[in-house]
Amino acid sequence: MVKQVLQIKDLSSGYGKVTVLRDINFQIVENEVVAVLGSNGAGKTTLLKTISKLISPFTGEIIFEGQNIASYPPYLVAQAGIAHVPEGGKLFVNMTVYENLLMGIYRNRKKVKEDILEEIYEIFPILRERKNQLARTLSGGEKQMLSIGRGLASQPKFIMLDEPSQGLAPKLVDEIYQKLSILKKRGITILLIEQNINYALQFAERGYVLENGRIVMEGESKELLNSEHIKKHYLGI
Amino acid sequence: METIFQSVFSGVLMGCIYALIALGLSLIFGVMNVVNFAHGDFVMLSMYFTFWAGSLWGIDAVLTPLVTFPLLFLFGVIIYYGLISRTLREHYTIQIAITVGLMTFLRAITQLVWQARPRALTYSFIQGNIQVGGYVIALSRLVSAIISLIIIGSISYFLNRTWPGREIRATSDDLDAASLMGINYQKTYAIAFGLGSSLTAIAGGLLMTFQQVDPTMGLRFGLLSWCILALAGLGSLPGLLISGLIVGVSESLAMTFWDPRARLLVIYLIFVLVLWVRPRGIFGRK
Repeated sequence: MVKQVLQIKDLSSGYGKVTVLRDINFQIVENEVVAVLGSNGAGKTTLLKTISKLISPFTGEIIFEGQNIASYPPYLVAQAGIAHVPEGGKLFVNMTVYENLLMGIYRNRKKVKEDILEEIYEIFPILRERKNQLARTLSGGEKQMLSIGRGLASQPKFIMLDEPSQGLAPKLVDEIYQKLSILKKRGITILLIEQNINYALQFAERGYVLENGRIVMEGESKELLNSEHIKKHYLGI
Repeated sequence: METIFQSVFSGVLMGCIYALIALGLSLIFGVMNVVNFAHGDFVMLSMYFTFWAGSLWGIDAVLTPLVTFPLLFLFGVIIYYGLISRTLREHYTIQIAITVGLMTFLRAITQLVWQARPRALTYSFIQGNIQVGGYVIALSRLVSAIISLIIIGSISYFLNRTWPGREIRATSDDLDAASLMGINYQKTYAIAFGLGSSLTAIAGGLLMTFQQVDPTMGLRFGLLSWCILALAGLGSLPGLLISGLIVGVSESLAMTFWDPRARLLVIYLIFVLVLWVRPRGIFGRK
């Protein structure tokens, strides 16, 4: 039987009195890679922030492994095993690369040894080279890798990636997606947010399309790529 | 020439204690961006506690931090949860009103409990002078400066090498990202506020080995620590120490060559000058 990892029911959310997301419903099962697509301002980032509870939802349920986490504070969501690689990386810029990765271990600090960082250095060898540098001195691509590495260091059951390709040169985007496919092979459940529809649908198995805060389409990646709506509005064909 | 050396040296010794006081303020301001106007009065309160411990139970001033350190830590944590945590989402003027209120309250309380006259302890086992190459150094000041340096070093170790220390630094860098790592920032803030307050307990104990306390002292120490923090900027412990020394030496020189009453004036001058010329401080990041 497939195991539900995340289930969102009738979720609406926003900032202050402004509603950004309305009646969102979707679910992700174990080992699945799902993309949420949409243009700027569609509410993609708000969706991830609401799941990790940086923003509190107005109504609805967020069920993670059978528990409704909608009323959790953000640190408990993280401790439950959800990693959120936020938009722009949000690194600890005055700490070293090594210390940033160490903060990823934080939720398991009483159980795990630092050996787990070796695995991350294997996926991102550049981070080993930059180990003792301050995070603020990294290039854009390196920052993105460190942010993903920090998320992985928490050994999450489920990882959410907010536009890992944002602001990067095409060559670097390829490199980031190569690294992400290693995670996919390892069977980590992934929720990916992306403006770049081609990359997202090649990487993910399924997708949801978000427009003006509502889910307007869902389906297998191939179906979505072939749909008239996607072709017309997002791919410009 | 000799007077200059003597003056500079005693300024350096005081500067170490000043840096310790400012470190407490810097921890609080650096992590939660809260301006604690009552910080100098925490030093004063610590000095009165030291006076109590010394006069009532006969504990030597140098040893009183063993009692006052945990006491001030607890005091800081209570102040954080009772007052500060409620104002975090408010406009900064509300935080100023709260901490200025706390400052006034502490001054009034000390006047009630200990009266307005100066209080001092009669004896500390680090009293007396030592002679170094023709210069006279008060042993109490020398020992106080050394202890201050050791404490500053320990705090540096704590911030860089322990989990609660890393929590404080991570939260100070990016509150949201720290939460995403599983850090309960309310707890981290409380620890930072408690620690920042408890550092004044050590400084207060050391100060009482060679000087007296009265209810107006809070102003001096508050101003001192703001000046040092403005000079140092945020995020550099060596910068904080050097700034402490600059303030200590300037104060000492002003007292020797100008007028002992000019000490606050000089500190205030440095403060204004720094804010005017280089608002992010000499050693600060960003």
